[in-house]
Amino acid sequence: MGCPCELRLFAASATIAQHAAATCISEAARFEQKYSRYLDSSVTSAINRSAGVAATPIDPETSGLLQYAGVCYEQSQGLFDITSGVLRQVWNKDRQTLPRQAELEEITRLVGWDKIHLTDSEVFLPEPGMEIDFGGVVKEYAADAIAMRVKSLGISSALVSLGGDIVTFGAQRAGAAWPIGIVHPIQKESAIATIYLKDMALATSGGYERYFELQGKRYSHLINPHTGWPVDSLLSVSVSAQQAVVAGSISSIALLYDRQEAIDWLDNSGCSYFAIDQDLSCYGNLGG
Amino acid sequence: MSYLTNMTRLLLFIIMLLLFSCQTVQPWQRGLLARPEMQLEPDRLQAKLHSQVYFSNEASSGDSEVAGAGCGCN
Amino acid sequence: MAQAAKPSPWMALTSAALTLPAFSASVPDQVEIGISTTAYRESDQNPQSVLVGSVQRYDININQFYLITPIGRDWGLALDLSHESMSGASPWGTVSVVGANTQLVMSGATIEEARNELSLGITRYFDTASLGFSVTRSEENDYNATAMAVNGEWDFNNRQSTLAAGLSYSTDSIEPSDALSFGRTLKQARRSASFSLAWTQVLNRASVLQSGFSVTQHNGYLSDPYKLRDIRPRQRLETAINFRYRRFMHRSDSSLHLDYRYYHDDFGIGSHTLRSAWYQNLTDQFQLIPSVRYYSQNQADFYVGGDDYGLPETVFQSSDYRLSGFGAVTFGLQGRFSQRDWSVSVNFERYLSAAGYGLNASRAEHPGLLRFSLLSFGFDVKL
Repeated sequence: MGCPCELRLFAASATIAQHAAATCISEAARFEQKYSRYLDSSVTSAINRSAGVAATPIDPETSGLLQYAGVCYEQSQGLFDITSGVLRQVWNKDRQTLPRQAELEEITRLVGWDKIHLTDSEVFLPEPGMEIDFGGVVKEYAADAIAMRVKSLGISSALVSLGGDIVTFGAQRAGAAWPIGIVHPIQKESAIATIYLKDMALATSGGYERYFELQGKRYSHLINPHTGWPVDSLLSVSVSAQQAVVAGSISSIALLYDRQEAIDWLDNSGCSYFAIDQDLSCYGNLGG
Repeated sequence: MSYLTNMTRLLLFIIMLLLFSCQTVQPWQRGLLARPEMQLEPDRLQAKLHSQVYFSNEASSGDSEVAGAGCGCN
Repeated sequence: MAQAAKPSPWMALTSAALTLPAFSASVPDQVEIGISTTAYRESDQNPQSVLVGSVQRYDININQFYLITPIGRDWGLALDLSHESMSGASPWGTVSVVGANTQLVMSGATIEEARNELSLGITRYFDTASLGFSVTRSEENDYNATAMAVNGEWDFNNRQSTLAAGLSYSTDSIEPSDALSFGRTLKQARRSASFSLAWTQVLNRASVLQSGFSVTQHNGYLSDPYKLRDIRPRQRLETAINFRYRRFMHRSDSSLHLDYRYYHDDFGIGSHTLRSAWYQNLTDQFQLIPSVRYYSQNQADFYVGGDDYGLPETVFQSSDYRLSGFGAVTFGLQGRFSQRDWSVSVNFERYLSAAGYGLNASRAEHPGLLRFSLLSFGFDVKL
């Protein structure tokens, strides 16, 4: 999945534990094979190749994820848009100069979730060059799916972590919750806060590891699909919810708002969160 | 008889009004409609019970769904 | 239609997330089981209205069970069982006394009687359609019935519209108890055939409307053999149209249910039924559901307030309170506690009927009009 993954669980025997671990690895690999945009054989690549040409038939899991991405698009007033990946072609660390307005206008023509034709069984991207990217939803969903699989194997307590998105169920020894440390943005070996999870998921989105510098100024890798410009986002947002996919969407959407709007949005989201801004100030009502 | 015709007209008018105000609902917007309390019949056993109780005590029947066998109760 | 206030992002996203395959509990991939037990108690008659016989009406205990299970990828099976045990008395007839109210002749209180019902149905699921077949058998000591039904459903407009059609046929036989002692008919039969059509339409993301109609034809012995004087036609044609509206309210996290049915048959009976229920979510797990039902029917063409033995037996007549003109109101309150896979519910209802509640009541109220209370406990689980 292109990021560090971890599984911790308590099982009745080593055999069950190994079986569970093997199931997790193969399930994670399945998601990778199916949704990675770097693999030609993936569903993502098949859909993107047919942009402007024909509709691609999709299975219930894919159509479910796309439908879910549609709810994220609505809930974020269009900021969270899985067609906005093409903006990477304009905003990347190989650039030397700021893009001209004409360049932005041309690329934003290929962006827009509302342009997509989606039904329960197929999806069509109307303009050649349009691309969708499942990255914003599938990693967290995979964590949920893996946790549900582990649970169905009879494991009563586990922690599943895929690149910082964590799902827990059951307790550690003696009924204690799972302690999760949130990495300090500067002192990467220490935790800026510790959060305790019991039967909850925690998703963290952060821009501090992925930014680039252009003409002396730091730009986030997150682009506002309406304007085409990078967002003046928070540094890191962690959200807890019962499903990692929900927590992940809320934290991702928060990062697409400019700083104060992001805090307001998180306060009204219905979830507990922990956020750090560019000045290392902390906000939120989540543990630690 | 004209009473029935007027009733039917009124009901047809209400249906038309509701149908013309229909909005296309995208697949990803259907979450609310899937909730248990939004189902036409959220409680299977309650529905059968009511059907039986009212069939035994009133003259009417016909709810376009529950088709069970009769009973000696009517 | 005005747009309702928006739900919180958490609510909208969680609602959507739960329909994803990893979380899906409502897709028919699981075995679902439910049980329910109900105490049904009819109120005693006013002693002054009873000329002869018991003042008690019926007490019925009803136990129900259902099981729904997928079979393979494309098939589903549904099993329904019901056991009722009843005791009590019912009106045999009425007596008109000059210058006074009509009075009831009641049966003596009966020994325990029971009714058992079993229903089995299989459904084949296609991509946007389904086809089902079911058989139902009901048995009690004096009455047996067997029914078969076929039904189909088709989805249109990207699943925003559904057309459902059903056809059913049943044959019933009645062998009244103590027939010789009371001069009742010995053995009779009747047949019924029914057709129904329903259209369900998604109006917007928070509301749905179903419109339907059904028509049923009965042939055979339709009279009540336990009544002292009850002679009904040997056929009956019934039609009904009904509407069911469901709407979710964001601001209050609740759902409104509104049902209406208009019924008409060639016995001359027409009726209106209006039912409303309010599903109020109090917490994530607890739901309170108040409901109210209003019913009104006019009397059958051959309804008589007091039995008249002077009428020849070729003339249709019945003094059954169920064929009189009256109205009824039901008040109900249900509480439901739900977890992810199971839920428990308690339901109480009170039914009151009176000629005065009806829109087109009989001139004289039938003394046998019913009042009852009902208390149910239910449990269902997804495995």
